[in-house]
Parts: sequence; structure tokens; C-alpha cells
Amino acid sequence: MKTLEADIELKQGMFTLRARFSAPAEGITVLFGPSGSGKTTLLTVLAGLKRPDRGMVTLGGAPVGDLPAHRRDIGLVFQDARLFPHLTVHQNIAYAARRAPQGGLAVEDVARFFDIAGLLDRPVGNLSGGEKSRVALARALAMRPDFLLLDEPFAALDGIRRRAFIATLLDLHRVHKLPMLVVTHNIDDAAALGSHLVALQAGHVVASGDFATASRQPAFQSLLDARDTGAAISAGMLQAASGNGRGAIWLRADQLLLASERPHGLSARNVLEGQITALWPQSDQSVLVELNSPAGALLSRITPQAVRELALAPGNPVWAIAKAHLL
Amino acid sequence: MLVTSLWVAANAVLWSLPLAVAAAFALSRRFPGKLALEGVTHLPIILPPVLVGFVLLMLFGRRGPIGSVLAQAGIHLAFTAKGAALATAVMIFPVFVRSIRLAFEATDRNLFEAAAVLRAGPFDRFFSIALPLAGPGILAGMVMAFAAALGEFGAVITFAANIPGQTQTLPLAIYAVLQEPGGETAALRLAGISFILAMAGLGAAALLQRWAGRRLAG
Repeated sequence: MKTLEADIELKQGMFTLRARFSAPAEGITVLFGPSGSGKTTLLTVLAGLKRPDRGMVTLGGAPVGDLPAHRRDIGLVFQDARLFPHLTVHQNIAYAARRAPQGGLAVEDVARFFDIAGLLDRPVGNLSGGEKSRVALARALAMRPDFLLLDEPFAALDGIRRRAFIATLLDLHRVHKLPMLVVTHNIDDAAALGSHLVALQAGHVVASGDFATASRQPAFQSLLDARDTGAAISAGMLQAASGNGRGAIWLRADQLLLASERPHGLSARNVLEGQITALWPQSDQSVLVELNSPAGALLSRITPQAVRELALAPGNPVWAIAKAHLL
Repeated sequence: MLVTSLWVAANAVLWSLPLAVAAAFALSRRFPGKLALEGVTHLPIILPPVLVGFVLLMLFGRRGPIGSVLAQAGIHLAFTAKGAALATAVMIFPVFVRSIRLAFEATDRNLFEAAAVLRAGPFDRFFSIALPLAGPGILAGMVMAFAAALGEFGAVITFAANIPGQTQTLPLAIYAVLQEPGGETAALRLAGISFILAMAGLGAAALLQRWAGRRLAG
């Protein structure tokens, strides 16, 4: 499996995309950014559907920037699935498998993996949103790409289906060792999937690297809604009510209580002992408390009164409490 | 003469189909020189039919630059049923191209991008995506063109003349009987046949178009 690297520049009217980043062969890279930050444009450039004004794209060290889309070993799953309406589910997947340079995967195997074996003979017109997403993913995988790009594949899904789809993506990565770059602007999805992070704002990369580290950078936090300020924490460190299969959980600063002494007789399942590293007064009169814990750095938002009453200061021990159902 | 009409119309449609599909597909995209192609395609609508027939006569006549070459191969077009089909094909070309072009333009461009990232090259995309999706529209265009072909007059009579049993199509036959005194009854009968054929063609085209629409909606 191969690393995808890009250093490109593309001007479209008033908008300039200038992105330089690397998506490693190991793990899933999340491409995060608000609407209009150029995420989809970047994907179309990587896939070869759009030519950058200058720059280069390499896959496993080999330049692919001059190849048209149909000669790149890069798969792309579009937000709107884009299944071929004149073909059945089976034929859609076979379309990709037939054109794979080293031979594609068997349609039946792919279908079983994505739990769509029962749909194979159906026309694609009357599939549900979730089914369409799965078929599009199956079709992209059947081509056996070296790298897979996904443009908000769960935009059309909600709740349980969304979580199920994320679990499928994690399975796909684990079983097929397929490196992926997944676009999302949902921080929970990003944390659940991402081992790496590339954050895009107005066409520029503002943060990138290991997910937990890069997501702590102020440039990344500033992309988030104030209520979403928080930190990624490995799912294994917490007891979550619905943490099945997720890589990490985004623990919002508003979800984390602090105690200056070890709490007793508490229903909350997650109590982490840590040490305060910094206090950040916010413009909305709250205070963000940054602490180190065995699970990594955490953020908690509390009132200035609480800071005074608990005598919180950098270096002091503190206990962070999270309710399992909030996760 | 009904057989002649059907033969001429069928041949005009079938032989011009590849060229019409190619022109329609080209016109549904952007490329340099599109305006010129658009102009050439529409020429038969603007020119008087008799002039089209005359130009064909100059080119494909026994002494014309193309006609003399074809004559050596034993192919004669002027004043033959094949010639009637050629004149008809030229005249229906604008209508034919237009209806096929609509079918190509109605297909979702995004599907071509989806095919490209699945490693389908340009020709592959044309045959595996564009053509099948436009198929019902192309079929509707063929029926439409066929109906229009049954009515061609000016260019056909100029290039292929009005020879009963050979180049005399329905409209030419109507014209011929009207030349004779008391031919109105016969003309009316022929006009009735002509009208029914045209209506059947329109109806079939409409049905096919609706099928095409449903298919594209997925």
C-alpha cells in the first residue's frame, strides 16, 4: 500500500487552493474543513479529474500528476454515490472489477463484505441512501485501488446508519489494508476514523499530522464551533455507551467535569486522574482547562467561579469525569 | 410507392445514424470549432430543398467529383432510389442530430467522472455510459427522423427525379397525381396514408422519449 503526497496549486476564480500534505499508507487520513474550504476540489485534483495550475501528486513515490483519472490507481467515492442508472448493483460493481489493471475482486466477495449480497440483482434507482453508499464503496473497492478517496460518504446518512458506515470503513481499512483519505466536516466522524489529520481552511492546509496531536493545535480548534472544542481520546481509554469499533472519541470540553479531589459514589463510568497544564480564559467568560491524563491531553470548559473555588492552577492534580452516554 | 417511401426513409435513417450520433455527441460537448459544426449541421434547414438537391446533383451526378468516382465502382446515386435516400438523409440530418443531442445533453455528466475514476478511458466511457444512457433517446430520434423522412420532397425530386416504382415516394406520388386532371381523390387517399404514418411516428417517438426519461431518472 502506498503513501499519497501532494503539493498543488489551483486557482478557480477568486478561490485559490494551495495544499501541501502527505496521507500515509498506514491508517486513515481525515481531510477536515468547513464548507467551501476546497476539500472536494482537492479530491478531484488528487483523483485526476481536475488539473492543478502547478504542483505534483505522487503515489508511493511515483509521480501521477500527469496521468488522466483513468490511469491512476486511486479510487474516489463521491458524496452522491454516482451509480450508473442503466446497470444493476451487480453490473455496477462488475464495471469496476472488469477494468482493474491487475484483475478486480469478485463481485460476490465484495458484496458480502459490504452486506449488499441481497441487492445484487436490483436496479440502483430504488436503493436507499445507505445502500447506495455501500454499493459505491463496493464498486470503488472492486477496482483494487492503491489508495481510496472518500468525499463525505456518510453525508446522506444519519444516526445508527452513520455509525454503521463508519464501522464498515474501519473494517475495510483493517481487512484490506487500504489507505484512505476521508473528507468530513463532522468532528465526531473525524475522530472515529482518523489516525491522521489534514485540516483545510480557505484552500490552505492549517494543521496536519497525527490526529491527536494535530487536532490540539489552536489553528484546528479555531475551525470548530465553540461547542465542539475538545480533544481526541483513544476509545480504549474510556467506557463509552456506543463506542463499538471506533478508533477515537471526540471528548468535548463541555462534556468533561473536573474535581479537585478523587470523587466518590459517582455514577459516571469514566474518571481520569490528571494534572492541569494550562488555563485559557475565553471571550465568553468561560475558562478552558487543559490537562494531561493517562489518555492524553484533555480540555474542560468551566466557569471562572469554579476555577477559584476548586483552586485550579497549572501543576495541580485534577480528576476529569465523563459520562459514558455522552460519548 | 408506399414500399419505395418506406425503403427510402429506412435507408436514409440507418445510413446517417453513425454520423448523426457522432455529430450529436460532439455538439453536446464543448470544443473549438463547435459553432462551425453547428452551422454545417443546420444548413439543410436554412437552404431551399431544391438547392440541396441541386448541390447533390453537382457533387454526386455522373460527372460530379464524387459521383464520377462512385460510378467507376458501379454505384449510381442520381435518379435512383439510393439517391433518394441520400437526399432524404441530408434533409433530415438537422432534426435527427437535434433529437439525439438532447438525449446526450440529458445524461448526468457526473457519471462520466465516476466512470473515469473506475479506469474507463474516453472511448470506453462513450460506449459503456454515454451510448447506453442515450439509447432510448437515440431510438426516439430515429423514429422522429423516419417520420420526417417520409415527407421529404424538394431535394428528392431534384436529385432522384419522380420515377414510379423506383424513386417515387408518397409525397412525389401525391404531386404526380395532382398534375393530372381529376387526381384530387387519389391525392386525398395518399394524403390520408401520409398523415397516419406521420402520426404513428410522432406517437412512437413520444413513447420512446418518456421511456428514456424514466431510464435516466434511474
